[in-house]
Amino acid sequence: MNKKKIYTIAGISAALILSVILLIIRPTILVYGIQRAGIYAAIALPMALVLGIVHIVNLAHGEMMMVAAYLSYFICTTFGIDPLVAAIPTGIIMFFLGLIIFKTSIAHTLEAPELNQLILTFGVAMVLSQSVNLIATSQPRKISLDYVSASATIGDVSFGIYDFIFPVLAALFLAVLIYFLKKTRLGKAASAVGQNPRGARIVGINVDLTYTIIFSLASMIIGVFGSFFITKFSIFPAVGGTFTMKSFALVAMAGIGNLPMVIGASLVLGLAESLVMSVPHGAGWSPMIFFGLIIIVILSRSFRSKQ
Amino acid sequence: MNSTVQKNKTWPVIFGILGVIVMILPFFSGPYIQSIGRTVITYMILAISWDMLIRSGQLSFGLAGFFGLGSYAAVLSAVNLHFNPFISIVFAALVAGLIAFLVGAVVLRLRGMYFAITTLALGEIFRIIIHNWTSLTGGPNGKLLPKLAFDGASIPTYAMMVLFALIIIALSEYFKRSRIHYALTAIRDNEIVAKSSGINIYKYLLIAFTVTAAIQGAAGAGFAQLYGFVTPESSFNANYTLIPLAMTLLGGMYSTWGPVIGAVLLGVLGEFLKLYIPYGHLVVYGIIIILVLLFMPWGIVGMAGRLLKKGESHE
Repeated sequence: MNKKKIYTIAGISAALILSVILLIIRPTILVYGIQRAGIYAAIALPMALVLGIVHIVNLAHGEMMMVAAYLSYFICTTFGIDPLVAAIPTGIIMFFLGLIIFKTSIAHTLEAPELNQLILTFGVAMVLSQSVNLIATSQPRKISLDYVSASATIGDVSFGIYDFIFPVLAALFLAVLIYFLKKTRLGKAASAVGQNPRGARIVGINVDLTYTIIFSLASMIIGVFGSFFITKFSIFPAVGGTFTMKSFALVAMAGIGNLPMVIGASLVLGLAESLVMSVPHGAGWSPMIFFGLIIIVILSRSFRSKQ
Repeated sequence: MNSTVQKNKTWPVIFGILGVIVMILPFFSGPYIQSIGRTVITYMILAISWDMLIRSGQLSFGLAGFFGLGSYAAVLSAVNLHFNPFISIVFAALVAGLIAFLVGAVVLRLRGMYFAITTLALGEIFRIIIHNWTSLTGGPNGKLLPKLAFDGASIPTYAMMVLFALIIIALSEYFKRSRIHYALTAIRDNEIVAKSSGINIYKYLLIAFTVTAAIQGAAGAGFAQLYGFVTPESSFNANYTLIPLAMTLLGGMYSTWGPVIGAVLLGVLGEFLKLYIPYGHLVVYGIIIILVLLFMPWGIVGMAGRLLKKGESHE
């Protein structure tokens, strides 16, 4: 616990120092960095939840987000409603889709070696992305909305304000999850299962049911995020892949089971990407940042374990 | 996961002979069949190389990355350094092996999910580097090869791929019979026990990772030499990870013949599916991965071995 606190403080202070430097040099980098961090945090939180409690790396994570975005797109175009309203039905549908995916496939490999789980979820990811490819073709789709391009000007700096919805969303997800895990009966049971499944089973917690509910809940959060995603970005079947990897990188950086730290890790990633993008010709290289971060985390962990 | 080496030697041999017959048949048919054959063999080589690493319990999703890297190394060396096609394939294998060695030195400290996801990211990283390094690689437009191996003649190129496949099968069998196999299997079964019995885990994993990456690079180079072009999107396509994985799982992991059988079955099936469902036929591969893992994790070879053993015990 003590160690954890030190890392948390170190991570947050590093992010803070970086932000202050950025604020002085170029405020827009900070603004866009925070907006990006919000996106990453919102999508990484459900993965942190699943990884922390069910102990499954869901390689279909980004693909589920992509499916949710498509669902939201079709709900919006069919019923003519706003994506932000469509977040509610999409979340509900994704809850049951997650339930089905978990019950039909992942639940059967919980006792199997980690290798099988990884290959299985990779298969699920491929089935999802290829099914969308089959049904909706690989043509990019986008919903154009007026309010997305709203902007604000402070001093001589002008920037889009709609994107701040993502940090707000991430904070909301985190607050709801923490409340759920700390205050509700089910959430406390889930935390217990996450810490020690066998012990939880002995004291009479229905572990299988908890796993199912947590996975479905994470799917629901992914679904809500998918609806927000479509308001701003165009979607195509391969859009989810990078989010799986980035989410995992963030969860690994934060430490498995440490939800609040995911926000700190996202800030580091978002600000670093935004910084690289502000350099001329840097935009193309920004997707490499997370890989560099993974390598740094790995190296530091392996050196720490040697000591 | 304690799939032991099959005691009965006759069945693998029969499968092997069947495989060789399947490899030879296309020589007597048209260029279309030979082109399918070349694609199937490319996937077969990738599948075997993936299996060679999974025998140590390390799951790599980096197939497409090293495949694309090899493709680019072959084409760029042929264009800029005027390498002969065959030397360019060897060069590609060396480049992929060297990069795998350097990356592996860091990444192989990881196990399980960390290793798997980092290798998954590797493919993406290689693609981005190639995509952005426009002055060398031609960026998103890719590069064209001025001259193909054997000028693209169908039968010699197919023969080249068959020879390539045989070399890889022999290498995989060597890996299965040498000290490396025992070391890698020990690591897969119980890393701590392996370590305490004096096996240098890191060294053997690095050897396996480097060799398999070199094979994947050579496969990519061979593919580039057949089709004469490389682009970031086609050379680093996720299919080069997905399809060999499905093939190995269906055929059976931890053997040489599993990937071979899986590649022949799924390769031919894939070609038929392509005719009926041009887009999205890959969904079948994903479904196969899920079904095999849930219902027959030993694959075809493992199932056959088990059925055979059952039959023997009844007699």
